[in-house]
This record gives sequence, C-alpha cells and structure tokens, in this order.
Amino acid sequence: MQATMQRDKQIEQEQTKGNGLRRAIGYLGNQKRTAIYAYGALIVATLAQLAVPKLVQNMIDTITNGFTANTILDLPQAFQLGAATLLGQSIEELTVTQANSLNWLINGAIIIVIFAVVRGLFSFAQAYFAETTSQGVAYDFRNELFSKLQRLSFSYYDQNQTGQLMIRATDDVEKVRIFIAQGLILATQAFLLFILTLVILFWTNWQLTLVILPILPLALLLFMGFGNLARPLFGEIQRRLSRLNTVLQEALAGIKVVKAFNREQYEQQRFDERVDHFFEQQVKVQKVFSILFPTIFTLAQIGTAVILYFGGRQIVTGTLTIGQYQEFTLYLVYIFFPLGQLGFIISLMAQAQASAKRIFEIVDAKSDVENKPDAIELPVIEGRVVFDNVRFSYFESSDDVLTNIDFVAEPGETIALLGSTGSGKTTIINLVPRFYDVREGAVTIDGYDIRDVTLDSLRSQIGIVLQETNLFSGTIRDNIAFGRPDASIEEVEAAAKAAAAHDFIKGFPEGYDTPVGERGTTLSGGQKQRIAIARALLLDPKLLILDDSTSSVDLVTEYKIQKALDNLMEGRTSFVIAQRISTVVNADKIIVLDKGKIHAVGKHQELMETSHIYADIYNSQLVDDAEIDMEG
Amino acid sequence: MMGMDGNRRLFENEVVKPQDLSKTMGQFAHYFRPYWWLVLLTFVLIMVSTWTQIYAPKIVGQAVDCYLFDSQAYGAAASLMGGEDTVAQSNCWFAEEDGAAIQARVQADDSIAEADKASAVNNAKIAGIGTMVITLLGLYFLGAVLQGVSFFSMAYAGQSVLKDIRKDLFDQMKRLSLSYYSKNEAGDVMSRITNDTETIQQAFGFALLSVFSGIVLIIWVAYEMISANWGYALLSLSVAPIMLVATLYFSSQARKAFRVSRQEIGNVNADLQESLSGAREVQAFNREDENIMQFSESNAANRDANIRAAAFTSALNPALEALGFVAIGIVVVAGGYSVLGGVPLLGIGSVVSLGVVITFLAYVQQINRPISQIAVLWTNIQSAIAGGERIFGLLDVDIDIQDKADAIPLPTVQGEVSFENVWAEYEAGKPVLKGISFEAKQGQTVAIVGPTGAGKTSIINLLPRFWDVTDGSVKIDGYDVRDVTLDSLRSQIGIVLQDSFLFSDTVMNNIRYGRLSATDEEVIAAAKLVAAHDFIERLPDGYETILGERGSGLSQGQRQLISIARAALLDPRILILDEATSSVDTRTERIIQAAFEKLLTGRTSFVIAHRLSTIRNADLLMVLENGEIVERGTHDSLLEEKGVYYDLYMSQFRYQGDEEEASEPVAGD
Repeated sequence: MQATMQRDKQIEQEQTKGNGLRRAIGYLGNQKRTAIYAYGALIVATLAQLAVPKLVQNMIDTITNGFTANTILDLPQAFQLGAATLLGQSIEELTVTQANSLNWLINGAIIIVIFAVVRGLFSFAQAYFAETTSQGVAYDFRNELFSKLQRLSFSYYDQNQTGQLMIRATDDVEKVRIFIAQGLILATQAFLLFILTLVILFWTNWQLTLVILPILPLALLLFMGFGNLARPLFGEIQRRLSRLNTVLQEALAGIKVVKAFNREQYEQQRFDERVDHFFEQQVKVQKVFSILFPTIFTLAQIGTAVILYFGGRQIVTGTLTIGQYQEFTLYLVYIFFPLGQLGFIISLMAQAQASAKRIFEIVDAKSDVENKPDAIELPVIEGRVVFDNVRFSYFESSDDVLTNIDFVAEPGETIALLGSTGSGKTTIINLVPRFYDVREGAVTIDGYDIRDVTLDSLRSQIGIVLQETNLFSGTIRDNIAFGRPDASIEEVEAAAKAAAAHDFIKGFPEGYDTPVGERGTTLSGGQKQRIAIARALLLDPKLLILDDSTSSVDLVTEYKIQKALDNLMEGRTSFVIAQRISTVVNADKIIVLDKGKIHAVGKHQELMETSHIYADIYNSQLVDDAEIDMEG
Repeated sequence: MMGMDGNRRLFENEVVKPQDLSKTMGQFAHYFRPYWWLVLLTFVLIMVSTWTQIYAPKIVGQAVDCYLFDSQAYGAAASLMGGEDTVAQSNCWFAEEDGAAIQARVQADDSIAEADKASAVNNAKIAGIGTMVITLLGLYFLGAVLQGVSFFSMAYAGQSVLKDIRKDLFDQMKRLSLSYYSKNEAGDVMSRITNDTETIQQAFGFALLSVFSGIVLIIWVAYEMISANWGYALLSLSVAPIMLVATLYFSSQARKAFRVSRQEIGNVNADLQESLSGAREVQAFNREDENIMQFSESNAANRDANIRAAAFTSALNPALEALGFVAIGIVVVAGGYSVLGGVPLLGIGSVVSLGVVITFLAYVQQINRPISQIAVLWTNIQSAIAGGERIFGLLDVDIDIQDKADAIPLPTVQGEVSFENVWAEYEAGKPVLKGISFEAKQGQTVAIVGPTGAGKTSIINLLPRFWDVTDGSVKIDGYDVRDVTLDSLRSQIGIVLQDSFLFSDTVMNNIRYGRLSATDEEVIAAAKLVAAHDFIERLPDGYETILGERGSGLSQGQRQLISIARAALLDPRILILDEATSSVDTRTERIIQAAFEKLLTGRTSFVIAHRLSTIRNADLLMVLENGEIVERGTHDSLLEEKGVYYDLYMSQFRYQGDEEEASEPVAGD
C-alpha cells in the first residue's frame, strides 16, 4: 500500500493539476502505525456494534419463551401436552426453559455489557488514533509548507499576499486534516456498517428486508439533495455575513469620518439593509431545514412502521419471533445512519479537495532563485562587485525596471544610489544578494557570477539593512544574533554598541533579554533600525547593503544612527540608498538613476556641476545633517 | 448523532459564564417580546410533538401486548381451552378486543368453518395491527409537521431578535462619542457586534430548541415510565444521571485541553505570520534552516496538545454509547425478570408486561440522545447568555454627546470661532486641556504645534463636538456648540484626518461621502480642485475604481488627496486639518501642499501642523504643551521671542527647507 501511495504521489507531482485530495491521502503513509490502529479499531468497533441487536433479540426471545413456558406449565395438567405440541415443544423442554430463562437473561445482560465495553474501547481507539493520525498529517503539511515558504524567492512574495499564504497554512491544512481525521474514516465506517447490516438483514429475514429496500434509495436521494441544496445556501449566508461585517468594520474604523461628515444615518441605513438581507437568507435556510430534517426523520420512522406491519404478520403466522422483530428494528437504525452521514462526508470531501489543491500549489511552486545543481561555495570575498550590462524586469513580460546597468564597485568603496521613486535603486541592491535574478547580463563578486555560487555562501557574506525592519519573536539578543545564532553575548553587545543601540537596550528592565516581535515589547522605528544595524554588523560582512530611504527618528537618534552607519561602512564595499547629504558627499561613487538607467556616475562635486537631476535631488530630497554633526 | 468534529467545535470555544443571569435574561425577554406569539407557538408545538413521540412507542408496545405476544402462549392455551380466556388480566388497552378475545370470538362463532378458524383469527389480528400502523404513521407524520413548524417558528423568532440586536448595536456604536472609543478599543466593540451575536446566533437556532424540546421529552418520558411502572422506571432510568455526569466530565476536561491547544496554535500562527512578513529578511540572513527547525518545534507542540485534547473528545461519544447499551441491558433484564418471575420490581409498582418492556426499550433509546445533547449544548447557551451580557453592556453605555432637548439648528456659519477658558478631560481628574482661550476670526488659519500628547488633537475634537468640554465653552459665531444640533454643526465643518480613511467603495463614492447629494460633475470638480483628478483618471476604472479595504491599492499620498477632495466637496466654512506625518514622495508632497492651500483659502481653519510652509502662512500660531498654550503669535514673531517655539523650530522644522521632505519631525523616539 505504501509503495502504491508513493507511486501515486510521484505521478501527482508530475501533473500538478491532478487530484490533490488523493495526493493528500498519500501523506497517511508517514502515519502508518496510528492509521492502522485507527482502521483496525474501526473494524472491531463496527463488528461489536453489529452484535448488539442480536444480543437484544436473544434476551427478548428468552423472555417470551420463558413466559410461554410459564403460561403453559401453569395450565391444568390435561391441557399442557396439547399446548406444548401446538408450539412444537415437549414438556421437558419447556421445563428446562422455565428453570433457566432467568439465568439466560442475566448471562445475556452480562454479554451486552461486555460488548458495550469492547465497542466503547474500540470506538474510542478509532477516534483517538484517527485524530492522532490526522494531527500527524497536518504536522507534515505545515512543516512542508513552512520550509517551502522559507525558500520561495522574493518575486513569489511580490505576487502573493501574506494573508492569503497564511490562510493556506492554517485553514486549508485544517480542512484537509478534518477530512483525513473524519471524512475518510467515517466513510469507511458508514460503508462497512451499511453493507454488513444489509447482509445480516437479508440473511435473517429477506422478506422483511425487501419491504424496506425501496425506502433506501429514496433516503439516499433525499440526503444528497439536501447536501446540494444546503451548500450554496450556506455559502450565501457567509457572503452576506461578510458584507454586513464589512460595513460594520469600516464604520468602526472610520468612526471619526462618519461622525465628521454626519453620515450616521447613511451608515445605519447601509447596515440595516445588509442585516435585513442577511436575515432573509437565514430565514430561507431555516425554511429548508425545517422541511428537510423532519422529512428525513419521518422516512426512518416509516421504515419502523412498515416493519411493524409486515413483521407483525409474520409473528402472527408464527414465522417470526418478537425478539427477531426487535432485532430487525435496531438494525434498521444502522441502515439509515450511514446514509445520513453521506451528505456530511461529501461536503467534507469537497472542502478538502479545494484546500488540498491550494496547499499543493504552494508545495509545487517553483522558486525563481535556486542553487544551480553544480553551484560552488563562494570563497571568502574581497568585495569587488561588478554589474555587467544588467537588464531586469520583474516578470518575463513586464516592462524593464533596469536596463544597461554597468558599473564596478572596488573593495571598500561606498556606492550611493540616488534617484526618484521607481528609478530602480532598490532593484539594484536586491540583485546583489540574488533576491532576484537578472534577465540579461551578470552580477559578479570577485569575478564569480553570483548565479554560479550557492545562495548560502553568497548571502552569508552580505550584510543587509532593509528599509523596513522586521523584528522576530524572541529577545533583543536573539534578534541581533539573527544571522549568527551562535554569537556570544559579548559579540552581540559589541555589535549593539557600534550600532548605538546598547544604551537604550540597557534601559529596558530585562536588557538584552527583553522579548520583542509579535508578542513582545513594541520598539520605536529608530530603535528597530539600530537593532537592524547591529544585526548586520554582527555578521561582519565584506559587503554591505543599506536601504536608508525612509527614516522616522528624532534628531539625536538620527545623529547616533549616522555614526553607527559610518562605523558599519568602514572597510566594506557598501551599497547605500541614501537620504543623508553627508553619506552622499562622502561616497566614493554616486550613481544617479533615472527610469531604470544610469544617468550619471561620479563624486559629489563633479555631479553638482554636470548633472541637473543630481542637483535637483540634492536640493529637494536629501536631509541636511551637516549642522547636526556640529551639534553632536 | 454528532461527529467527532461536532464535539471538537463545541469544546474549542472558551466558555464564559454569565455574571448576572436574571438581568440578562430579562433583557433577552425584552427583545423577544415583539415575537411572543412565535415563542408561544413554538412551545405549544413542542408539547404536541413531544406527545406524538411519547405515544408512538406505546402503540408499538400495544401491538405486542394485544396481538403479537399472545399468538404464541395465550393462543395455544386459549385454543385448547375452548376459547375460554384463562389469563387473568389483559395488558391490551388500545384495541377493543385483544388476540385472546379474537380467538374466543372466532371459536364461538359457528358460522366460520373449523378449518378456517385459524386463518380468520390471524386475519383479524393482522387487521388490528394494520389499524395500529396507520395510527402510528399518522402520529409520525403529525410529529414531523409539528417539529418542522416549531423549528421554523423558533428560528424565525431567534433570527428576528438577532436582527434587532444587530441594528441596535450599530445604532449605539455610531452614537457613542469618541471619548468612548479612546477608552475602549474599536476591536472590542467589533467583536461584540460580530462574535457575540454569532455566539447567540448559534444558540438561538438549533441549540435552544434542542435543549428545550429535549428537556420536555426527558421529563415527559420519565413521567410516562414512572406512571406506567414505578420500580421498572427507576431501574431503567438509573443510567441517565451517569450519562449526564460523564458528559460534563469529559467536556470540561476537553475544554481544559483545548485551552492549551489554542495557545499552541497561536504560537504556530505567530511563527508563520512572522516568517511570512519577514520572508525577505529571513533569506537575507540565511535563517531558513534555523527557522524551519524552530517552526517544527512549535508545530509539534501544537500537534501534541491537540492529540492530548483528542483523548477526551474521542472518549465522550463511545462512553455515552456504552452507557446507552448498559441502559438497554438493564431494561431487558429487569423487565424480563419481572415478566418471568411475575414479581413487581423493587417491590413497587405492578408486574411488567412484555409490551411495556418493548415500550421502555424505545423510551430509553429516545432519551439517550437528548441527555448528552443537553449537556453539550448547555455550554453553548451559557456562552450565548454571557455574549448577551456583553452586548447589553454596550447597549447600556450612556451616550454622553447628544442633542440637547432644546437644541437649535446652527444657522449658516460665518466662521468666527472662540475658545473660552476651555478645560477638558478624558478621565476624571486628569485634565488634558487646561484653560485654553483663543479666538479665530473669519477666514483665519490657526496652526497648532507641540509635542505628542500636548493636546493638539483634543482641541480640534472639541469643535465638531466629538467630545465636550468639562468647563468653559467653545463657540461658533457666538453659539455654544453644545446648544446647537449635532447635524447642523458637523455639516458645516470639514475635516481632513491624519489617517486618510477610505471605504471599500468606488473613488466617486468615497469623495461623495462629503456630500451625498453631490452630482458626478461636482465630485470631479472637487477632485480637480485638489489636483486629484489626474491620478484618478489613470486608475483602471477611473472614478468607478473600487478601492480595497481602507483604500488599499492607493499610495498614502493618493489616499490623502481623496480625503482632501472629500472635504473640498463639502465646501465648509470651517475646516480642520490634521496634517499627515507619514512620508510621501516629493512630487506628491508638493501636490498635497498645493491642495491644502487651495482648501484653506477663505475658510476659518485649524491645522495640526507638521509642515513648515503651513506654519509660516498661519495667521495665528499656537504652541501647546501639557494642555496649555505656552506661546502664541506668528512664525516670525515667535522666532524673535526665542522661546519654546524657537527651540522646537530649531530641532524639528528648520531642515525641512522650502520644499521639505516630509520626514517625521514630531514623533519622538
């Protein structure tokens, strides 16, 4: 079975469009042990369940037989033999029955309790192991999704929203899990119960079985129809509810605007409309339910009534005992129950199908940037970076973002990138650590085309301070040591000092052990930025990338950050998207970009004279920090 | 029967117990009052349909007692004894003549040939059973119809009540003053209107009806059993309390376990969220492997917590089922003992007949389901009551800002605004504004500067009466703002907020929000006035472009322009501007600046200023610190004073230059 699953999995992977659900079921392969327990328990539990009506029948027949024996043996002696003969029994048999029936009854009860316990234990085992199995599958799914997501290239993230990806890793995984935990095992159970019960019924009394047989397809049709009817109705409820909530959410978030523009009545009207709309749909659904549920129950009850009539006939004519009749009624429940579950199983399956497809879309997504099969380790670098006639566009078909980018950064040089929004500054720095690959031309470091070396060896030698700093859950120390988790506390502190972060970190009650990120202390923009700088410093890279285009800090901090950055850039090849005049003035090379092309390259003095774009930018965009320096 | 998942969902939700039950129930009752006849109808229907459920098993039992059981023993005996009814007492009451009586009648009837007598007896019995089956079918049908109608009437009443509650909540939400929102998070209000109503929704439909009809059924069945046979009933019902206890135990354990698993899934989601939003940094710092390892740890912890919880959820249904079988066993054994031994059970009541055994068997199975259902759903209802409590708590909040009884409409405003010794506080004893006095003449621009928390926003919030002064007064053209109607006041004040809030609607409608009666042409004219027209035209569907939530899809600057256009469309005499501190690119910045200038001309304006140019052009410049005006004058006069403003300017505004980059000068680190 395992082998088939593996093979199936491979086939599926080759044709991504295929049945995602079957591929998801393939993940059961990793949970073989618990899955086998679950299905084994299922079989035992179902068999025990099937035995119960039989046991009840035995006991009721014991009562009737015992009572019959009592009655006959109570008759005047003369009539006893005749009556016994009429029933086809001898007086001796009746005496034995009379003497033992109470014991038989108690034995029967003990057996029922034993069966109940066995059934209980095994159906517990079935549910527990099914849950365990499905949790294991969900665990595998999440891990696989997570690893994949970690390695997908930037362009993937450009195209997909975080929220969407999040939903796939949570809701979609849960839907598939529920199907595997329940849908699958319920389906097996329902199938087993239905078939076995039908066989038993036919075997014990085929005439009665034939009587109820016509009801079954009717019930099936009804259940299926119910599912088909209910699903779109529920979908519509959800849609209307979310429309209602949108108005609410916006009115709340924009309460000031609503009040400022006197739009309370207008919003109330909008909301009321949607509430009414939602209400109508609810009523519609309730109407369907209040017709369908009783109909379904009635169907099962009609079965009972019909059995009473035809079974009664058989009892009267002596071909059926009361116990057998009772047994038959109990089995009847077993027949209808699986049919009722069918609708539920089908809807679970439909949901899981859609979810599995979405999950595998991520799992199968191709990352644009990957190690070549023959990629080599990049040796320790000097820091000579060459852009060789680079062309770049985000998508194969979209407009070029960079064209003919050609320049050299010698080891230790600071390269300042300038240009208006959309001129391609950020794109250039994204190409160096291979966040994207060039469309044409090449980026080389110390003569190695960066596409020929491993991503790990490349990126571990580049320090990056991004425009927006994300901190992660954990302590400040963890965050500074983000790129080198093995760094000692001394190293971390040294980096923090160089980044002018040590003082404010020490200011927290817990110092370097202060938790930050999603569930920790909120840091200000300036504090985050300095931690990001410390983080990059700790790597002690030969190559440095700084996106400094937005700063949101006060002057004193600004000055400190500037000093920290100066420390950082010393002796390293640095690419800086600069906002500060001092950075630009001190740069070894300023590259002025315009609409994806290099407009001018040079030092501050030359460019002031030769490039009007540079002069414009210098005057309008750069922050004059010359005097801050003096104050500092 | 409920699937495993049904259980899981029930236990996953945290149960919150209501504090003041009777008060909350009273409030619910108030909402149900308009629909009292539906509730009454439901009640009556439930009683009748429960009756059908009680009566049906009796008929089945009667079929046994009247015709089926005697066919073996009595029949044999009676036929031998020449039709004489030897059995002391018949248990048959449904039919006029039971099997033995039929036997006797047929035996005595000489018109029937002896050979045909057996089949005549059988036919008569089958006909009798037929009558019973028809009665039974009628009962089932009646029960189904009644159940359907009661289900619908209950649901209709419940949904109607929810509809009313939702509308009232929204009404309350929009009337609550901003001081309420400054003390309470909008998210909390949101969750009351969505989650709490949702909880109630779940409870008002299926759960309430199930619990209600379940209770009726259980009581009635118990009554029937007890009145049929005391001793037998006590024995047969002995398992029911155990079932109840088992359900309560397992569900409370499951809830505890799920509390842990909720935390664990929270960790998993936080990990995911972080590494998704920080995906670029993760790759930049080569952290993939480390993160994957960490994630698999929290992922495993989540899995294990869920498996632990599963131990309890998986136990509930099997335990109940096993107890159900035990109940069946008891019914059969105890009944059989009485039938066979001819003794009453527990020494009370009468001897059991086989028909009663069959009936009790059906009864016991009938109440097994409601018992476990009630135990599980009860917590649903508890949560709903707690949800109701939170909702009513919100509805009971006093609206502190509303029209006075004798409020008059504010006449068309000229634009004279005066603050007279204004004190205001959000929290008692902690004044935010301490004796603010100033006057703005018609058409003047008043710029307010100062550090975060100085009270700048508090001042401008007083003007449209987003909140009220505790002392002193705010007057427009001599009218105290508290003496005029809110409608007439706010419709004459235009406001551009720092955070440009847009609705998920078309651009056209977002601008039109300023004045609903405006024509398309007027909207476009307003957009042109503030130089928003060009970029709007370039949007995929122009003015009909539908914006995402909160205007996503537009840049910050574009959003700002639209909200400026919105205020321009209103064409108010008084304007309030909270300048954005967030950065936009230089070109957009210039456009916005120009738009502001256009908007300010000819109107009395209050500006929380972050831009040097705004400050320079202001007629009155006020420096606020700790709720007090520490300096006032014009840009030039204040610079000369070399006071607080001078320092502020030197550290914050100076380097903006004439065409300043709007970096964030005011926010502190």
